Amino acid sequence: MGINKILVTAGLLIILLSMSLFTVKETERAIKFRLGEIVETDFKPGLHTKIPFINNVKKFDARILTMDSKPERFLTAEKKNVIVDTFVKWRIGDVKTFYTSVAGDINQANIRLDQIVKDASRSEFGKREIKQLVSTDRQIISETLIANVSPVAKNYGIDIIDVQVKRIDLPQDVSSSVFRRMEAERERVAREFRSQGAEAAERIRADADKQREIILGNAYRDAEIMRGEGDAKAAEIYAKAYGEDAEFFAFYRSMNAYKQTFKKSSDMLVLEPDSDFFKYFKNQK
Amino acid sequence: MSWNEPGGDNKDPWSGRNDKNGPPDLDEAIRSLQEKLGGIFGGGTGGGSGGGSSLKSFGFLLVGALVLWGLSGFYIVDEGTRGVVTRFGAYTDTTQAGLNWHIPVPIEQVQIINVEQQRFIEVGYRSGGRQGMGSVPREALMLTKDENIVDVRLAVQYQVKDAKDYAFNVLNPAATLKQVTESVERGVVGNNNMDFVLTEGRSEVVSQIKQEIQTVMDSYKAGVLITSVNLQDAQPPEQVQGAFEDAIKAREDKQRLINEAEAYSNDVVPKARGAASRLTQEAEAYKERLIAQASGEASRFSQLLKEYKRAPKVTRERLYLESMEEVLTNTATVMVDVKGGNNLFYLPLDKMTKQQTGTSEAAEAQAPVTLTPQQTRIVNNNLRTSSRGRDVRGR
Repeated sequence: MGINKILVTAGLLIILLSMSLFTVKETERAIKFRLGEIVETDFKPGLHTKIPFINNVKKFDARILTMDSKPERFLTAEKKNVIVDTFVKWRIGDVKTFYTSVAGDINQANIRLDQIVKDASRSEFGKREIKQLVSTDRQIISETLIANVSPVAKNYGIDIIDVQVKRIDLPQDVSSSVFRRMEAERERVAREFRSQGAEAAERIRADADKQREIILGNAYRDAEIMRGEGDAKAAEIYAKAYGEDAEFFAFYRSMNAYKQTFKKSSDMLVLEPDSDFFKYFKNQK
Repeated sequence: MSWNEPGGDNKDPWSGRNDKNGPPDLDEAIRSLQEKLGGIFGGGTGGGSGGGSSLKSFGFLLVGALVLWGLSGFYIVDEGTRGVVTRFGAYTDTTQAGLNWHIPVPIEQVQIINVEQQRFIEVGYRSGGRQGMGSVPREALMLTKDENIVDVRLAVQYQVKDAKDYAFNVLNPAATLKQVTESVERGVVGNNNMDFVLTEGRSEVVSQIKQEIQTVMDSYKAGVLITSVNLQDAQPPEQVQGAFEDAIKAREDKQRLINEAEAYSNDVVPKARGAASRLTQEAEAYKERLIAQASGEASRFSQLLKEYKRAPKVTRERLYLESMEEVLTNTATVMVDVKGGNNLFYLPLDKMTKQQTGTSEAAEAQAPVTLTPQQTRIVNNNLRTSSRGRDVRGR
């Protein structure tokens, strides 16, 4: 009996205790209400007390949250469309404001943030050309957006940690024209390579031909010089020998020439028998 | 379990696994206490403890329960993991590998976090499931500085650097890392020209991306360490692959053309040198031959001349006759003993040459050749003049 009593009492105590205590985790922010009215918001993580039935507690995520926007079209300075994706890293700053402005609903907060960031982005993108957006100005845009969005977000109890531009893409039709341009560019490069190749090849061939001509020409020249030398030398030798008796040379050489000239039996001589050779042909005197 | 399931609703990494989501609330704590003290509360009031149970036995049970409860605070932290201990939700300590003890639930709680495991995210593609890499154009395609579009696929490997930060600071570290990666890679690629990104700049781009991701993640105090960023692929987009490949082929073609020309050159020039060598050799041969011949002939003549000078008349006569003899024996000879000029005289020469005898007197001739006495006389004149020592006019 006593034991049962003790047990029941203990059970009731535990229940009461559990109703008058609450914990706040590292990842949480909490608000304590007294009959619907906010009494305290600044809870450190750990164990805290409340009065059962009078106080109630709402908890919110204290971690860094993300607003990942839907892709949006913006006009750039050169009046071109770009499709932009941004994301915002934020956390609940002032819980009270957060609770009162967006009812502590993260989704609602994200919808608001999306709107704020889009408005801020629109002017930033409208000021710049695609080239700046894509390459040089990312950091500046990010910083400017943080600076512009933060004060507005404060009204919702939101601390902006970071705003980053994720994608900056061209619309489909512009993309395809970029592809066409890239193709044309590559085609140009390819042609350049091929014609450079042809050029170099032609040079090499021409050079080879030139070398050939020069080599052959020089060789011909040297050959002719040598032949000339031979001719001269031979002439000299002949002249020296034959000069001793020109008349006899003429006779001797003629004889050789006759022998050389009339060698074949197909040659035909038609003669009158009054040459020296036939001196004795008709009369032996 | 992957972060990046299509339609990725931001699923928590540890929902669905064993509940590590911080300490359970008090109700749960009470329930677990009830389980621990199961024997006492089993089946509501006055279950197991019958009439004979006394305060003593109840005290004993209570002590036992307390001991059991205390023992439930022991936990083992594996190698490569850390235990993050919270007391009523507030962080107290990070415990190292080994056997540890915490004040049991519901007062303290441990969240075990693996700090050595290599986690990774994929940006621009999905390797999961299928064999090939499924491209995700929305993530993969990005603009470069020179307003071209490239297709970049990254795999980012990371591990937990700080268990406490990782557990408490960012709602969904992996998803956050992915967003940051997308933003950073586009920033870096957008700062470089396409050719650089696709070719020599790969490693530079990757290391820059890695550095910037780390910086941003640190600014969020996400407690992650980027161990590596792998460029799975950096290519021109699919739509223009053909043109790019052709450009590469063109480069090869260029080299090929040059090589062919070199081959031609290597063929032509040595051959020309060979031909040149032949020319000069032949010329030299000619020269040497000519000189040798001349020397020979000259010597022959000189020797003959010496003898001739001793007996000119006889020698001359002999030479003449011998030459004539030779000539006339070797050739077909027709002797025409005709005096006088004007009468036409006909020789069927072609016939005679055919038969190769000078005897045929056939009147039938296909191409009659006429020789005027003058012409015949020329022959004979020549013969005669030579005998008189005048120059011979060769015909």
